[in-house]
Amino acid sequence: MSATGNNPLSHVLPHPIETAQADLGLLTPQGEITLLSDQIVMMIVAGVLLMLVIPRAVRKRRKDPETGKFVLTGMGNAVEAICTYFRDEVARPALGPYTDRFIKYIWSAFFFVVTINLLGLLPLGTVTPAILGGLHIGGTATANIWVTATLALLTLFLMVFNGLRLGGVDYLKHFMPGPAFLAPLMIFLEVIGLISKTVALALRLFANMVAGHILLAVLISMILTAGQALGTGGGLVIAAIVVASSVAVSMLEIFVAFLQAFIFTYLTTLFIGMSVNVHHDHEEASAH
Amino acid sequence: MPARLFVALVSLALVSLALAPSVWAAGGGGENNLFAGDLGNILWTLVIFGLVLFVLGKFAWGPILQNLQQRETFIHDALAKAKGDRDAAEAKLAEYEGILNEARAEATAIVEEGRRDAQVLRAKIEETARTEADKTLERAKREIDIATETAKKELYTVSGELATRIASKIVRRELADADHQRLIDESISEIQQLGTN
Repeated sequence: MSATGNNPLSHVLPHPIETAQADLGLLTPQGEITLLSDQIVMMIVAGVLLMLVIPRAVRKRRKDPETGKFVLTGMGNAVEAICTYFRDEVARPALGPYTDRFIKYIWSAFFFVVTINLLGLLPLGTVTPAILGGLHIGGTATANIWVTATLALLTLFLMVFNGLRLGGVDYLKHFMPGPAFLAPLMIFLEVIGLISKTVALALRLFANMVAGHILLAVLISMILTAGQALGTGGGLVIAAIVVASSVAVSMLEIFVAFLQAFIFTYLTTLFIGMSVNVHHDHEEASAH
Repeated sequence: MPARLFVALVSLALVSLALAPSVWAAGGGGENNLFAGDLGNILWTLVIFGLVLFVLGKFAWGPILQNLQQRETFIHDALAKAKGDRDAAEAKLAEYEGILNEARAEATAIVEEGRRDAQVLRAKIEETARTEADKTLERAKREIDIATETAKKELYTVSGELATRIASKIVRRELADADHQRLIDESISEIQQLGTN
């Protein structure tokens, strides 16, 4: 805890490794641009892991002569099971005929987010500074609002771009569902809805990743505080309780890592579906 | 319609612009700022996620999606084929059942016809036999009658002669021709009466 002290926030804050002076207004609030940080390194690790492991895994097929080519084995089978679930249970109900058009993005989003979430659970941040001479590697990239906001903005882009491309005039018309004199209000509300969806998407993932890590950090820091206040014996007793509850919270964190990745992907799919299927909703409504 | 479209587009742009600063303003703050970060994070995220999207899309999701689609087609085709085969089998079964029923009906008809023919034949044979028997009986009766008549006639003649001879011997006298003849006639009629009694 040498470099970070007892501040529980230090576990979730980015630790820049390389920065450069820059003044781009809102895009560089600290007056500098991060060229590399611990979270970015973890994101790169996640990306490289995904690009190395998954293509290799999905290549293995069962050696059954007739149907073997359809059956993946080992890890590829697990990946395919997740993919199938997303395609059949998440994407198809929301996207309908556009399922296979967006499914690759949906799968990528889930695996990208879940890998970053899980890598963030590794307690590298407390180990690496000692080994690498103060260099802090580790942390959760999805515990950075700038990262989650980028992903959420990609969702927003997909919503609007594909809404316009596939829905065209119908997509724009759905911004003003009521009579003409209500159009300004309706458009305002629809745009607010669009933005709040994006903001909620970014904040939800960010807040969930941050909260768990802060909770863990607070729990661990209680050991030192108790040691200082109650002496070594008291500190050890508290340590036993804290370690046990940290294990429990870490278990919960593993679950949350999957859950939040799923929710992010699920909502992304849902939002894209709401944009691209505007046309069909109207048709359905007029048919009734 | 273009006017409404224009209003919608302009409003969309204005509202987005108006709200943008409040969204981004959350990023500012001091040293322990939870929202710390800058354009660098955005660019790295875009680059890495873009790479992941490209590489996985080409080398992982492509094959998986293709596999899923092929499997769906395969299963769909297999189910369709199974349904077709079952329908064909059912049709064949119905056809064979029809043939079997026809054959059974035909067999029954043949047996029935045979029985009917046999009955007709039996009746005919019985009829013929009865007719034949009746004829034979009739003929026999007639022959018996003729024989009886002949025997009777012969008996009368012989009896008459015998009686005459006996009477001649008993009376020992020559009767007149007229008496003679009368006696014979009387004897014959007596015997006839006896015969009929």
